[in-house]
Amino acid sequence: MEFKDYYQVLGVEDDADLKQIKKAYRKLALKLHPDMNAAPDAEEKFREVAEAYEVLKDENKRAEYDQLKRYGGQNEQGFDVPPGWQSSDGYTHARGSASADFSDFFNSVFGGGSRHHQQSHQTESDLYKGQDVELEVPLFLEESIKGIVKRVEYSVPALTGNKVEQLKKSLEVKIPEGTSDGERIRVKGQGVPGSESSLNGDLYLHIRLIPHPLFDVQGNNLLLTLPLAPWEAALGTKLEVPTLYGKISLNIPPNSHSGQKLRVKGKGLKHKGNQGDLLVVIKIDIPNKTTAETEKLWSQLADEANFNPRAEWSK
Amino acid sequence: MSEITLHLTIQELCQYEEITQDSVYAVVEYGIVDPVDGNAVSEWVFDLDSAHWIKKAVRLNQQLQIDWVATAMVIDLMRQKEQLKKENSQLKARLDRLL
Repeated sequence: MEFKDYYQVLGVEDDADLKQIKKAYRKLALKLHPDMNAAPDAEEKFREVAEAYEVLKDENKRAEYDQLKRYGGQNEQGFDVPPGWQSSDGYTHARGSASADFSDFFNSVFGGGSRHHQQSHQTESDLYKGQDVELEVPLFLEESIKGIVKRVEYSVPALTGNKVEQLKKSLEVKIPEGTSDGERIRVKGQGVPGSESSLNGDLYLHIRLIPHPLFDVQGNNLLLTLPLAPWEAALGTKLEVPTLYGKISLNIPPNSHSGQKLRVKGKGLKHKGNQGDLLVVIKIDIPNKTTAETEKLWSQLADEANFNPRAEWSK
Repeated sequence: MSEITLHLTIQELCQYEEITQDSVYAVVEYGIVDPVDGNAVSEWVFDLDSAHWIKKAVRLNQQLQIDWVATAMVIDLMRQKEQLKKENSQLKARLDRLL
């Protein structure tokens, strides 16, 4: 086992006072806390810092740790707890104060042996709840409006004998109708196994809507961009447009503008009893190629229409 | 089929997440989340998004040793950041369709 130099972890001298230790911890915690730092190794580093602080902030634990450090700390063969060693404190760190699981070194020194090696002799203080697992679940819009049974596959660390191995899990979960982007679904007891089945962590499914090729989501409403030819926008027309619930016939009024929104009631997303609408946003396109004949017609239109779209600029 | 839940009672939250009732009360008192149901504290029910922010707030409050006012500010900024990121990506997608 590796001897942990907690002073080095916090970046303080061995004779640092409590104020210096607190200051160093706060500085590192702000920098490395997994809620504030998205780097993949931030959680591991924060765990080390939290463990070091757990020991050094406590007068008794620190004294015992210093004694061990003087006893030899790390040598070439690694570190072993001295024969007959027993911490006066026991394994008493509050789970809520540092949700991280501490290292085997910590458990050996302050818990009278590694937790992983004590399964057959558990006392109440050794019982622990497994961590929750959060998984992102991509969902198509079509699936979200109907609800769907999704198979989710993931792995959790589990104790097999004295080894921690990755246990593959595969579950079928009913995603309810109307589930929206960012919503969470809890599957009880399917997280990391705890010391007893009643203490298993939970699985949280974090729903992420997959971008749709046609529709954008805006709250409960859906947005559909509808390309129109200039003459369709000018003259008005009747078109068949897609919705998530099938095609509908839509009247485009004459003199429609680019960016104008046409509301189709009740064809959006349903969430918590509220039915959203479909907003059809007009986009006017012109042909990429023109023939001599069409160019002539555009010129004729330009002369006849007497329209200055930048009239506002000259005011 | 696995059983799912979309809400947590304050008792479940405290039991499963090892959070004290006082901490949950503080999170609500400082306006970080609101219960979706329940008048008395013991009857409070939270949706899972609120439960997520309660856990995060309690973690930050304890592990960073900051007071509840600072915790509420941090959570508010985190939520705003998340919301702005989401809006930004939605607007980018809209822009791509319109250009």
